[in-house]
Amino acid sequence: MASIYTLQFNSLSSSHRLSSNVVKKHTRTEFALSYGKLSLNRLPVPRNFELRAVSSDGDHHHIKTEIVAVARQSKSPPVARFQEIVSSLPHVAFVMEKYGGSSFAIWLCFATAFLVVVVKVYMSRKSRYSPAGTVADLVRRGQLRSDRRGILQPLKYEDPFNNPMVKVGKGNSTIEMCGKVYRLAPVTLTEKEQATHQKRRSRAYQWKRPTIFLKEGDSIPPDVDPDTIRWIPSNHPFATIASDIDEDVAQDNMYQKHGVPFRIQAEHDALQRKLEMLQNEQKLNKIVIDSSNAKDLERPFKFNRKSHEPAEQNPFNIQSSNSRPPKSDQAPNTVGSKSSSEETTKT
Amino acid sequence: MLSFIQSPATPFKPLFNFKTLKPPPKPHFSKPIQSVLQWNRKPQLAGETPRVVVITSGKGGVGKTTTTANVGLSLARFGFSVVAIDADVGLRNLDLLLGLENRVNYTVVEVLNGDCRLDQALVRDKRWSNFELLCISKPRSKLPLGFGGKALVWLVEALKSREEGSPDFILIDCPAGIDAGFITAITPANEAVLVTTPDITSLRDADRVTGLLECDGIRDIKMIVNRVRTDMIKGEDMMSVLDVQEMLGLALLGVIPEDSEVIRSTNRGYPLVLNRPPTLAGLAFEQAAWRLVEQDSMKAVMVEEEPKKRGFFSFFGG
Repeated sequence: MASIYTLQFNSLSSSHRLSSNVVKKHTRTEFALSYGKLSLNRLPVPRNFELRAVSSDGDHHHIKTEIVAVARQSKSPPVARFQEIVSSLPHVAFVMEKYGGSSFAIWLCFATAFLVVVVKVYMSRKSRYSPAGTVADLVRRGQLRSDRRGILQPLKYEDPFNNPMVKVGKGNSTIEMCGKVYRLAPVTLTEKEQATHQKRRSRAYQWKRPTIFLKEGDSIPPDVDPDTIRWIPSNHPFATIASDIDEDVAQDNMYQKHGVPFRIQAEHDALQRKLEMLQNEQKLNKIVIDSSNAKDLERPFKFNRKSHEPAEQNPFNIQSSNSRPPKSDQAPNTVGSKSSSEETTKT
Repeated sequence: MLSFIQSPATPFKPLFNFKTLKPPPKPHFSKPIQSVLQWNRKPQLAGETPRVVVITSGKGGVGKTTTTANVGLSLARFGFSVVAIDADVGLRNLDLLLGLENRVNYTVVEVLNGDCRLDQALVRDKRWSNFELLCISKPRSKLPLGFGGKALVWLVEALKSREEGSPDFILIDCPAGIDAGFITAITPANEAVLVTTPDITSLRDADRVTGLLECDGIRDIKMIVNRVRTDMIKGEDMMSVLDVQEMLGLALLGVIPEDSEVIRSTNRGYPLVLNRPPTLAGLAFEQAAWRLVEQDSMKAVMVEEEPKKRGFFSFFGG
C-alpha cells in the first residue's frame, strides 16, 4: 500500500542536535563584489531541521522522527530569515574582534587597490580616446609621414655646445663630464706651421692623377705624361681595360630624371619585337597553300623525276624566306652600342 | 630660448605696389629654411652648396664609415639635406652602420647600366627624411678602372640638378688605401676630413694621404682624431691630440673619445648620435658636424685631470 508522507519542518537551533543520523546540509553563501575582484565565502552555518514523516496509513507507531538538515524553504517568513541573519552576526563580530588590529590595514589595501584600478581605467580610456576622422588617424595608419606634420611635437635637440651634462668650471678652465674632470688646453698650431707642413708634403709626395690605364705589355702612347699612366696587373680582380660601358650612354643614364630606365626600355622593346615576330610566323604557318596558285609560282623546268622534289619545295622556301625579317633589324641598339663602344675604345 | 628661423633677413617690402596694383616680385633666396627649430641655435652654413666632402684616412679601421654615418645624421638633424655615398667598390659597409642594408636594391653601377634611374638608387632614411644613402656598387660587380672618377663627377652634377633641389652636403666615404678606390672617391671632392687615431702607423698613412689630397688640388683638409683614451694620454701611453696635430699640421675638426657604445650602435644599425641620452662620442660627433657646417676648427682640447678632492663640508654644497 502506498503511503503518502508529508513532511513537517521545524527549525531547530544548531545547539540542539539530537540524533547521530542528522544530515546536515550546509548552506554556503557566496557573494562577490560587482567588480569581480573580491569574493567572500561565509562560513557554513549548520542548520538542522526536524523532519517528521507522517504516513497516511495510520501506522503512527513506526513514525520515526528524524532530524535532518534540509535546505530552507524559500517560502520561510522574512522575519525568521532576518532573525537567523542576526543570529549569525556574532560570528562575524567574533572574527572582527579577533583581527581588530589589522582591520585598518585591510581597508587601506582595499582602498589602494580600488584607487589603482580606477587610475588604470582612466588612463586607458584617455589613451584610447581620440577625435575621429582627423589627420592624426592618417599618421597613425601610416598614410602620412609624421615627421612632416605639425601635429606631433618635434624632437627637442640639445645644443651640443650647451649640454647640461657638461659642467664648465667657474674659471672656464675645467670641465666636469661623466664623472671625470678635464682641463682645456689651447690649440697651438699656427698658420705658419701649417704652411711649413704643406711645403714638406709637397716635396715628399709628388703624385699626379692617372688618366690612362694600360695593361702590362701595352705600349705607351706618344705625347702622354708617363706619370699619368697607371699599369694594371693582369691578375687584378677589378681590372677591366676594355670598357663594357658606353660612356655617353652611361652619362645619359646618370642624368635621366623621368621615365623608364634605358636598359629596361631597350629590353622591353626587344622583347616586344620578338613577340611580334613569333606572332607573324604563326600567322604565316596557318595560311593554306592553293594548288592552282602554286602552279603559277612554279618555274618552268625540264621533265625530270629528280627535279620534281626541289620544285615542290620551292613555294615553301619562298614563303619561309619572306617570313624572316632581315637580320640587321634585330636588336639594333645592342649591336649599335657594341660597335660604338668598340670605336670609343679604339680611339 | 626658442628661435624660429623662417627666412634669411630681408628688408621690409610692401605687399602691393600701389601705383601698378601688382604684387612685387618674390625675392630669390639662396636656400629657404623650412624647419621650425626647437633648440637654442642652429649652425650657420658656410661655403657654397653642395659641399662635397670626402672622408678618408689611408689606414683601414680607424673609423671613416662610423664618422660618415654619425656626422651625416648629425647634419640631417640640423636640418640640412645630406647624401652619403659609399665609394667602396668592393666592400660596402655604410649601409650596415645605418641599418639600411635591406633597402639597398640599386647602386650607381645599375644607374650607369640603365637598369634604374638615380632617384631609384637613392635610399632615403625613414628616421630622417633629409638623409639619403647611395652605394657605388654591390660586392660582386665591377667598375672599370679610370671610369669611377668620371662616374662620381656625373653623379654630383646629377644631384645638383635634381628636381627636389641640390643637397647641402655630399659626404663620400672613401675606401682604405691609396689605390683606385681612393682616386675615385676624391675626384669630385672640394674638401676632405681626415680620420686618424693617435698611433704612429695611422699618422704615417694619414700624412701620406694628406700629401696626395693636396697634390690633387684639395686644400681644405681638417682632421678628426678618433678613439682617444684620455686615461692613456694622462699616463703618457698614448700620444696627445696636440702631439698628433703637431705631427700632421692640420686643423682639428673633432676629437672622438673611445666608446664601447660604437660597437653596440654598429650591431644595432642605429648610429651613435641618435642615442638618448647622448654618449660622449655622440656629443663629439655632433660638435664635429657643427664645426663642419660653419667651416670652423677646434680652438682647445680637453686633457683629463685628477678630480678635485672634496672636503668634509663639500657635502653641504661648500
